[in-house]
Amino acid sequence: MKTLLVDLSRCNGCYNCQIVCKDEHCENDWSPYALPQPQTGQFWCRVDQEERGRVPVVRVAYTPKFCGMCDDAPCLAVAKDGAVYRREDGIVVIDPEKAKGQRELVDACPQGMIFWNAELDVAQKCTGCAHLLDNGWSEPRCVDACATDALRLVDEDDPEFTDLLASAAASEELGGLGSHVRYLNVPKRWIAGTVADRTKNEVVIGAQVTILNAEGKQVATLETDDFGDFKYDFCDKAVYTVLIEAEGYGSTELTADCTQKDVVFDDIFADRFDS
Amino acid sequence: MKIKDTTVVHNLGLESFGGGANIVAADILDGKIARIRPVHFDEDYTKEELNYWTLAGKNGTTFEPGMKSYTPPFPLVYKRRTYSKNRIPYPMKRVDWDPEGERNPQNRGTSKYERISWDEACRIIAAEIKRVHDTYGPNSILCQGDGHGESKAINTPHGCMTRLLANCGGYTAQARNPDSWEGWYWGAKHVWGMDPVGQNTHSTGTAQDIAQHCDAMLYWGCDLETTTWGWGGQLASRMAYWFDDCDIMHIAVAPDCNYTAAVHADKWFPVLPNTDAALQLAIAYTWWAEGTYDREYIDTHAIGFDWFEYYLSGSEDGIAKTPEWAEPICGIPAYRIRALARYWAQHAVSIAHCNGGSFVRAAFAHEPARLEVYLLAMQGIGKPGAISIKFIEWVLFGLSSCSPLPVSKVVPNTAACYNGPLIGQDPDSFVPKVMVHKALRGESFDWYGHGTAADSRANQFEHFHFPQEGDAGIKMLWSDNPSFTTSLNGGYEFQSALRTENLEFYLVEAPWFEDDARFADIVLPICTKFEVDDFGTDNDSGQWSSVIYEKAGIEHVGEALSDWEAVRRIAKALETYGGPYENLEYRMSGGKTAEQQIKEGYEACGIAEEERDFEAFKKRGYQLIPTREDWREEEVGLTGFYEDPERNRLETPSGKIEFYSSALATAWPDDHVRGPVAHWVESGDGHDDRLSSKRAEAYPFLIVSNHPRWRVHAELDDVEWLREIETCKVIGPDGYAYEPLWINPVDAGKLGLANGDVAGVYNERGTVLGGVRVTERIRPGVVYMDHGANSDVIVAGLGGMDRGGAVNLICPTSTTSKNCNGEVTSGYLVGVKKVDVLELARRYPEEFARNNCYSPAYGQDVRDYIVEEA
Repeated sequence: MKTLLVDLSRCNGCYNCQIVCKDEHCENDWSPYALPQPQTGQFWCRVDQEERGRVPVVRVAYTPKFCGMCDDAPCLAVAKDGAVYRREDGIVVIDPEKAKGQRELVDACPQGMIFWNAELDVAQKCTGCAHLLDNGWSEPRCVDACATDALRLVDEDDPEFTDLLASAAASEELGGLGSHVRYLNVPKRWIAGTVADRTKNEVVIGAQVTILNAEGKQVATLETDDFGDFKYDFCDKAVYTVLIEAEGYGSTELTADCTQKDVVFDDIFADRFDS
Repeated sequence: MKIKDTTVVHNLGLESFGGGANIVAADILDGKIARIRPVHFDEDYTKEELNYWTLAGKNGTTFEPGMKSYTPPFPLVYKRRTYSKNRIPYPMKRVDWDPEGERNPQNRGTSKYERISWDEACRIIAAEIKRVHDTYGPNSILCQGDGHGESKAINTPHGCMTRLLANCGGYTAQARNPDSWEGWYWGAKHVWGMDPVGQNTHSTGTAQDIAQHCDAMLYWGCDLETTTWGWGGQLASRMAYWFDDCDIMHIAVAPDCNYTAAVHADKWFPVLPNTDAALQLAIAYTWWAEGTYDREYIDTHAIGFDWFEYYLSGSEDGIAKTPEWAEPICGIPAYRIRALARYWAQHAVSIAHCNGGSFVRAAFAHEPARLEVYLLAMQGIGKPGAISIKFIEWVLFGLSSCSPLPVSKVVPNTAACYNGPLIGQDPDSFVPKVMVHKALRGESFDWYGHGTAADSRANQFEHFHFPQEGDAGIKMLWSDNPSFTTSLNGGYEFQSALRTENLEFYLVEAPWFEDDARFADIVLPICTKFEVDDFGTDNDSGQWSSVIYEKAGIEHVGEALSDWEAVRRIAKALETYGGPYENLEYRMSGGKTAEQQIKEGYEACGIAEEERDFEAFKKRGYQLIPTREDWREEEVGLTGFYEDPERNRLETPSGKIEFYSSALATAWPDDHVRGPVAHWVESGDGHDDRLSSKRAEAYPFLIVSNHPRWRVHAELDDVEWLREIETCKVIGPDGYAYEPLWINPVDAGKLGLANGDVAGVYNERGTVLGGVRVTERIRPGVVYMDHGANSDVIVAGLGGMDRGGAVNLICPTSTTSKNCNGEVTSGYLVGVKKVDVLELARRYPEEFARNNCYSPAYGQDVRDYIVEEA
């Protein structure tokens, strides 16, 4: 069995995977694997994007989503008349003939990766490009088109990938279902800021930044860099207290609420004792 | 099951000019394109055959070219471009243009079209050419035959008509301005030479040098995750990730968190548009005041630094260019500027570029471009890890020294079978592209320099005039690139110029019915890439240069012909007049078949005879050229100049870096906008676009206009698969897909704008509509709108309104500065206000009701502009 290993730290947001899936399936009839996908609106591979932070600490997190070919595939469970089947290589396929009229398949996927084609009266999803794999291809279109190696199709038995696979996680929606799409370097929330001395118009370098959780327990200490900046990238969706101390300056205590979003403070102006 | 019948290999770079990039394979099934995919070089070559290279960086990292093409998204969607709903189906004539009677120029852009046959179209066109020749002379035909487009050689999308007209008396050319490089071209060249475009042409080996020695890279207005997509590819992205892996701090400097900063940046300096010069001056001032620049290097490698000191210190104008001075101008706090300057002085810092944006396409762009070289010089450019590097155009104009990566033994070209004019080869009668409005209106005017990207620094001092003595000026416009209004300067003014009586005939040949095509009198349908045989190259991937036997994969779509075929057909029609037109088609073409031309192109492409095998080339579809044997021994970047500036001179008059340009001082002693030393310029030469200017009361935002994320300039705006991506379009309350307008939440709050609203973006020149996207990716005080959206005219011409959101309609017509014919297409003032589109639809019922076949999925549809056949 193979896993699609997605390294989110390598996804540049080019959408090649989403696009080539359409190139392969829109207007192309690959029966008995799949009927044509409508020109728009279906995303058998879908790149989600989330804008994070605020000026001047902003990033975009891109997350390509795929059918997990899950071990406990809910679509398999609800399918009637063998309309969804698992191949020997593990790929879960919707049979386009047998799945006619089975609209309930669409709601079965917790990640929303099954789509209703009203014109053809059929549920549709990723086929793992099985028609290509059966005709000499070694990987599906999405992996072939990925230019940064963010997508890799790896053999689960290959010892080279044992550790990587162990550190990779399924998407939140497919957790517990035995998804064969797993993510590396899933970003966590951040707290960021700049510490400056406005009277001298200089940043404060080497200020100590202590990050405390809701229980008052210290989770990290870091120092402002040559730009007076600090950024802690490993926050949970929780509330933190941030204590900033620098020699010769009064200390500053701030609250960082990471429950809904990343926190970027307005620039923090430290007060000098002698001013 | 059959997944393909055959495979054809093409380049899908959209740079045109006889170049090529983005090699891909297209599988054909049942006469249609089934899929477009990367090429797997390892199916045809071994690493040994290609002299495969591996570079080494910090942290034990390595970088390799890889064995497949790293195709960007644009080639992968080209099936939809090929079968676009907006393809021109057949020759068309504007219904109220009658060459025998009323020409109704005032209705260009408004009236509809009727179907005519190729024979009738060619007969009318031939008659018009003959009439213009007889009445006014050959130079009264202006050929708009340049610009970007599909990269074909035989069937080049631009300039085939010049081959026809050159054989029957001549023509006037539109000379393409250095649109990708304005600031460097008009400014940096006077500081450090670097012909032809003013960017660093001494880049050999610099990628590895950076990976080993650089501490931080300033990605200055550099969006390598976008601009490379049209021609280049995604090896650039892989290189950026490599630099990240080498722990090179990624510092983005731009008003927007562009698509590169969004995934790579460690720090972002959100400088206000076109205020980079103030930021740069404050950095220089900090070094000067703190004594942290390389004084010894300046003494030995530069001239005229004292002039710069005189200005920097405030001795000249009483204003020291401190970080506190710069803060309110550029919007970066003084403490951040000072921190950046101090970090830079203590570390090896390089600058990365990928063209485009406000840094190099705004008013006075020569100033930040010159100041950038000043800064690099003050920290000893050429020392390990301190250089200027590009992520695009790695063998620009065949110059392999532009590439920071190992290059192929030969940079092949298509010249022997290229049927267009090359950049820099204009006839005596020419008009700078940025001044073409004047020519269309029948004016006479003067300027300096050919101003094409291929010209030398010295060429900027030559004086020119239009029309030439005895000529009547422009009366006919023949365009194969009808996208001026979406991609160049002063779009609304250009629309107005198209509607003047002076322009008697406007002919367009194009595959798609976009933008200026809807102002034409006759429109000819043209083929796209996969419909024709051709000879191509890919020189910009950074992997291996290649030549490509581009076999047609599909039949011509509709009644389309290739540009070369169409122009030959017009030549045939002209032959009926005899005289200068006798045997014209043969004289321009030699009567050659496509295969003959491909063979001639291949044989003269630069590959040595012993390495050529035409039949094998034809069978495989492409040929890669191995890496140079001696790439490891090549001198790195500007090392030679760094170590011995007397022996390794730059191309400036002194051979050194010129803080003071005697050449500029001598040529234009009264030019205070581009003077001999770079300055901060508040306003002048037709530009008054600062947040501090009086105009900002009415137009309080600066606009950023980059290379579009989901288009190549005007191209690809009709692709469904791109348009449904979140950042591509914004669906308005009327269901129309608007071009996104980015605005910061702070400003959106003040204006009462929310996601999905429609906003008018406006100034004295008119209004374009945009779909609001409230985002932290743009700093307060600035709005962002990509150029190139397919225009949808509500009111044409100056003071007009456009629903499509073609933002260049409202950019200035005034050039970079009075002696510099560059475009100003970013960093100017606009107002923004919420628009009730439903009310607007009531005010312009005809224009809003026109879009019957329009779909937000793909945009405009040519059928909406054709009168129904009786």
